[in-house]
Amino acid sequence: MLIHFILKDLKIEWRSKEIITSMFIFGLSITLIFALAFQVAPMLIRTFAPGLLWVVILFTSVLGLNRLFSLEREEHAMWSWTSAPVDRGTVYISKVISALLFVLMSEILFIVPFFIFLNLPANFSFFQFALILFLGTGAIVSVGCLISGITLQAGLRDVLIPILLFPSASPVAIAATKCTGSLFDQKPMTEWNFWLLILGSFFVIFGMFGYLVFNRIVEE
Amino acid sequence: MPFFNHRNNLIHAAIAIVLSAINIYIVLSLEPPNLAQGIFGNIFYIHVPVAWTAFLLYLGVMISGVLFLTKKNKVWDHRGLAFAEVGTIFMFLVLTTGPIWAKPAWGIFWPWEPRLTTSLILFLIFLGYFMLREFGGNPEQVSRYAAVVGILAFLDVPLIFLSVKFWLPEMQSHPQVGQYFDSANPLPTYFLIFSFLSLLVVSSLMIRLRTNILSVKEAN
Repeated sequence: MLIHFILKDLKIEWRSKEIITSMFIFGLSITLIFALAFQVAPMLIRTFAPGLLWVVILFTSVLGLNRLFSLEREEHAMWSWTSAPVDRGTVYISKVISALLFVLMSEILFIVPFFIFLNLPANFSFFQFALILFLGTGAIVSVGCLISGITLQAGLRDVLIPILLFPSASPVAIAATKCTGSLFDQKPMTEWNFWLLILGSFFVIFGMFGYLVFNRIVEE
Repeated sequence: MPFFNHRNNLIHAAIAIVLSAINIYIVLSLEPPNLAQGIFGNIFYIHVPVAWTAFLLYLGVMISGVLFLTKKNKVWDHRGLAFAEVGTIFMFLVLTTGPIWAKPAWGIFWPWEPRLTTSLILFLIFLGYFMLREFGGNPEQVSRYAAVVGILAFLDVPLIFLSVKFWLPEMQSHPQVGQYFDSANPLPTYFLIFSFLSLLVVSSLMIRLRTNILSVKEAN
């Protein structure tokens, strides 16, 4: 059943392409603003770049999550799976996987202009960078999908998602920035694997918590 | 029957007032342990117990949330909200007394001390919690959502604390806490415990009063 839910989200996105496109353009626009704003001190940009990258990822994730869950409200689409004999935890896991795929795809698209606009050298391990992006994005979407599920039927949902997500995801912002900064400075992985552990723990803890409580969140 | 017409509640309130008065007298009359910090150093006897109480109250929000989601008894929802409200008042006091102490101790109001930063992040999550309570929509759904956010906030505490602690490893924890304690003189420890106990009595009274008001509102 899990695969059907994921395929449903992928199929909708394949037809409309609205989530990834909007995230990509939004990410590109913020990158442009950062590049313009930090031209005052181009020497400092390398120091700020890891933090800026994760600010862009966090902002674009909110946009993507908001849209991914808004689709369930349109034409009361969520009634189909709330009335189906399916564990809602499975729906949560499917949303985490779909959101992870969409955010990662948009990251692949805007990271290249991010490095070009900010004049950043890409002299680091791409495998390690991909690992940081995967764990950091996974951690953000695991708690993001939970909060989006909470606000799915709530009023003021557009406002509530960032208000609840940003402070909750602050350990992710710190850990992901630390990992990325160390990677950009070409420090050995043994020096910053603690931060990867924080990202991984966050991903697993909130993934499991979301799976357990999603049944209680989404009730008819 | 009004809350304070009940004899036990009146006794509870009287004990809270007497203990608080003694506590304030002790804190203001103690000889400052550090000449540089002066009387501001004595805020330690208020700031630390207030922080312990605030974290304990937020633990109460989590426990009430778990019990509400499992037992579906409305009284746990009321207790959860009361714990959150009183906990947030105490957390606000932590965020006020912390900088008052930090200025003479460190020379700056906001030193990014791990416990203080964790308190700030938790405080922000709980501001989102109250927004969700206020603007979430259907009250029955909002109770469930709030219970989940209450659990999520406390699950986040160890991750926030660890990431903030190692984010700035050079940042020392509480300023010169050692100077307050001396193996030959156990009085400061007793004062600290007394202050904590008096705050527990005050906070428990506030929670009981608030739960009572919420239950009366619900009944009407």
